[in-house]
Amino acid sequence: MNDHNLLEERTMKKRIASALLASAVILSVASCGNNAPAATTTKAAETTTAAPAANNDTQAAPADTTEAAATDAAAPAAADEGDTFNIYAWNEEFKGFFEKYQPGYDAAAQTLNGVKVVWTINPSDNGVYQDKLDAALQANASASSADKVDMFLAEADYILKYTDSDYTMDISQLGLSQVDTEYQYTVSAASDSNGKIKGVSFQCCPSALIYRRSIAKDVLGTDDPDEVQAQLDSWDKFDATAAKAKELGYYMTAAYAETYRVFSNNATTPWVTGGELAIPDAINQWIDQADTYLKNGYTLTSGIWGDEKNAQMFKDGKTMCFFGPAWYFNFCMGNAQDPEKGCSGDWAICKGPQGHFWGGTWILAATGTDNPSLVADVMRAFTENEEVCENLIVNEGQFTNNKKVNEKFANDPSFGSDFLGGQNATAVFCGMTDSIVWANATIYDQLLNEGLQTYILDYYQGTCDKDTALANFYAYVNEKYPAIQTP
Amino acid sequence: MAKERMDFIDKGNKTTLFVSRLVSYIFLIFVTILSLFSFYLLIINSTRSNAQLQAGFEVLPKEHFFDNLVTAWNDTSIFFLPQGMLNSFIVAAATCILTTYFSAMTAYGVCVYDFKGRNFVHKFIILIMMIPTQVGALGFVKLVNELGLANTYWPLIIPAIAAPSTYFYMKQYIDSTLPLEIVEAARVDGSNEFRTYNFICVPILKPALAVQMIFAFVASWNNFFTPALILDKKELYTLPIMLSIVRSRINSQAGDMGEVYMIILLAIIPVVVVYLFLSKFIIGGVTLGSVKG
Amino acid sequence: MSSTTASVRRKSISYAKWGYLFIAPFFIVYLTCSLIPLLFTFYNAFFENYMDGLKQIGPNFVGFDNFVTLFTPKSSGTIEIFKFAGNTMIMWIMGAIPQIVFALLLAVIFTSERMKIKGQGFFKTVIYMPNLIMASAFSMLFFTLFSNVGPINQIIQAAGGQVFEFFNNVWSARTIIAFINFLMWFGNTTILLMAGIMGIDQSLFEAAAIDGAKSSQVFFKITIPLLMPIIVFVVITALIGGLQMFDVPQIISSGKGTPNNTTKTLVMQLNAYIGTSKNYGMAGAVSIMLFIITGVLSFIVFRFTEPKKEKKGGKK
Repeated sequence: MNDHNLLEERTMKKRIASALLASAVILSVASCGNNAPAATTTKAAETTTAAPAANNDTQAAPADTTEAAATDAAAPAAADEGDTFNIYAWNEEFKGFFEKYQPGYDAAAQTLNGVKVVWTINPSDNGVYQDKLDAALQANASASSADKVDMFLAEADYILKYTDSDYTMDISQLGLSQVDTEYQYTVSAASDSNGKIKGVSFQCCPSALIYRRSIAKDVLGTDDPDEVQAQLDSWDKFDATAAKAKELGYYMTAAYAETYRVFSNNATTPWVTGGELAIPDAINQWIDQADTYLKNGYTLTSGIWGDEKNAQMFKDGKTMCFFGPAWYFNFCMGNAQDPEKGCSGDWAICKGPQGHFWGGTWILAATGTDNPSLVADVMRAFTENEEVCENLIVNEGQFTNNKKVNEKFANDPSFGSDFLGGQNATAVFCGMTDSIVWANATIYDQLLNEGLQTYILDYYQGTCDKDTALANFYAYVNEKYPAIQTP
Repeated sequence: MAKERMDFIDKGNKTTLFVSRLVSYIFLIFVTILSLFSFYLLIINSTRSNAQLQAGFEVLPKEHFFDNLVTAWNDTSIFFLPQGMLNSFIVAAATCILTTYFSAMTAYGVCVYDFKGRNFVHKFIILIMMIPTQVGALGFVKLVNELGLANTYWPLIIPAIAAPSTYFYMKQYIDSTLPLEIVEAARVDGSNEFRTYNFICVPILKPALAVQMIFAFVASWNNFFTPALILDKKELYTLPIMLSIVRSRINSQAGDMGEVYMIILLAIIPVVVVYLFLSKFIIGGVTLGSVKG
Repeated sequence: MSSTTASVRRKSISYAKWGYLFIAPFFIVYLTCSLIPLLFTFYNAFFENYMDGLKQIGPNFVGFDNFVTLFTPKSSGTIEIFKFAGNTMIMWIMGAIPQIVFALLLAVIFTSERMKIKGQGFFKTVIYMPNLIMASAFSMLFFTLFSNVGPINQIIQAAGGQVFEFFNNVWSARTIIAFINFLMWFGNTTILLMAGIMGIDQSLFEAAAIDGAKSSQVFFKITIPLLMPIIVFVVITALIGGLQMFDVPQIISSGKGTPNNTTKTLVMQLNAYIGTSKNYGMAGAVSIMLFIITGVLSFIVFRFTEPKKEKKGGKK
């Protein structure tokens, strides 16, 4: 009991502190219409947050505090560029980071180097984001300067559709090239089939097994990440533990598709080959596992984003394992962090049965952009600017696409997360990056993954047999992608 | 006179009357609960924070009403909520006026004038009444784009002039309530035909027009399908589009169910006001055929 | 209805040409905004025309290929378009029957001279109010109400029961969708029927009362037959609304018609084709099917009700 109170108090303090810090940053950015840079310091890692000087003229204002940013001499001239910087995204995550950390951004005027920044945000569910983005990209050539898409974000599940088209620009055209602090898989993912690099990721997203310490103690007799990892490092062990958890009244996972990503990332064949759809072996393996888990009551029928699963993150939840990368436990585990009903501190992470990644946000330049230098600025800031990357780690709990900065924090013994009971998440993720492979992507992946998870549930529920469930899935594929031949 | 006779007969079966009244009241109370339950849910939910909403249901309101209001008000991802309310109002008001005025005019034309092909016109409108709006949606979007009318309100407002079901309702109403003698008398007085319609007939049709106005206003106010196809610009969004944007976030980190319920609540208020304003015609009862009997 | 008597009276008026002016705005707007798009949509049904990712395929003329695809059974043996048409009808009937029954009862109660219900103004105002809530908002409220962690399941669990997954069960999912439609529309129907009942000549009820008719006899022998024209209107508008059923099942099933495609309606199918793939060919084919189904059903409704209507109208 006392432990809990202490923990809560600490979390509260931390929350208040970070809230104050965040507002200080925003205030300082907002108030520096003149050229006085404001600075705040964070205790945790002694990094400096320099709110950039926002010039009102159109010249670029690079925050040249690091060597990396200074190396690019050949930035395109900004003289004849458009006066609206249009960015397409599917949620507010990157927008938040951009508004806080992008050098040259004036929060009060919502301008970047004097150019008005306009966000168009559409949800990715059911492909809405892609639909709207596609329409805008196709109209880009004839669109007015105010409507031209300049920059957009893409996820791993469909990035290939854009990189392998003429709607995105080669980063060398923007004056950028691959830097060796980037993780290789993020570069491969952003490359078209000819190896041309079309974008950069601001995140690296190795995905971990996130477990409840208290439940792990009950089920495995330990909550130490290394020991837990040793007991869960293969699917056989994972399945055996699920049975044990069930006996003790716990769920292994809170959604039947919780482990889907782990399997699908390790698939050895693509979803579609030569226009024909074939379910990869790894995904068939998941279909069987999810079936067993539901039948035995190891998991719930909730969707991976469902309320039912989210409710399991509260203190009174009964679920031991979740899977997710750095952005997940910082942005999707709000219930666990809730001061009243949550259980911050009762969590830890380890690699889990198989290495995998989830998500990642790539920044791409739209062909026809009239603000190429601004796009280049943003790309640089979020990959090469060490200060921005440090802020992302310290203030936002991100795992960045900058090896040097990540490793700095991984090796810092004083750096840890209260949410994870003091564990250094950055160190765990650093150890996982090698096992990430980028292979077998198709332009169809997002909706195929989403569709299969939905339609196969009917079979698990006994509403129909497996063949019918798959037939429904194939019919859905035909609606979304008439070009794919389904069995 | 009629009532007296009815009452006289009633005396014989007072008990049956009592029982049927009792049953009727119980039924009415049941229906009232059914109708107001959603409003209760909505109001309770709009006072709860996202975490409270996720943690399960509670019967009594919580303290987050103003937090949710502020969140909804300051949400820039949907531009600006009051702007959406204004947009919805412009479209709905224009739609409901055009629908009722022109469809009633068409019905009047068919009822009053014995022109060649009158019967065909009536049958044709009945036929097209059957066609679901969505059937032509594809071509409509194409047409709108070709005319350069995407991201304007014209494609949402102008088609309202031709509303077959309003026509059908008005036709029946005019047939049974409008004595043609009035039209003839107006002509004798030298009234122009349009004048007769606007200043003599429209007032007589007022109760029916009011009912159709409510129907049309509500339908337009709550319409998501067509505006979603036509509008792409944030500042033009109507409320249902804004709601869908906020709602689509609920499964991600940025989602806030409290905000969603708040927007729904705010979206209902104007339409409730319009409804209560026009509802005296519903409460008074719109009679079909009362004049002619 | 009373066209014979009316036209006799109208013969003396020689203002016929004015009729064209009065109906002109309606027809000009209808032809441009509805008929042309409709024909264009139908025309599209004969082309292969869609997007594969960012690549445009077609338009290529393919004759009736899209219809063949539409009627080809899936690997599970079902012909999807029939299944979706069936879903639409089932959910419509499940909602429309209580909707019309409730509306009739309410209309009779409100218009009853005998019962003189107090607080009528309040009750009449309230029953229409559910229609003011957006269909999507309604769906959300009910989705959270019946979700696995929602209040209904909290009650079930508190009573010692197991969580019931309402949206993963065919009949509970359909019932909820039908119930929402019923709840949204019964007030609207009541208003229409009330207007109809009040239009019936009171002397008929009086005569019946003097003859000693029971209230059930009055209802079935006088009210219902005389109300037929307005009931036809109500049934047809409800039918059109039913065939257009989209928002509620779309949101309840996240657009996927779960479970097992049993809540997927024709318009959801149409919407799916217009969505990601911009498959104008298949969407056109579905549109034509929807058009034919509506036509056939409306024809049946008219056929069944027309003769009665004529007779009663003549008497009146």
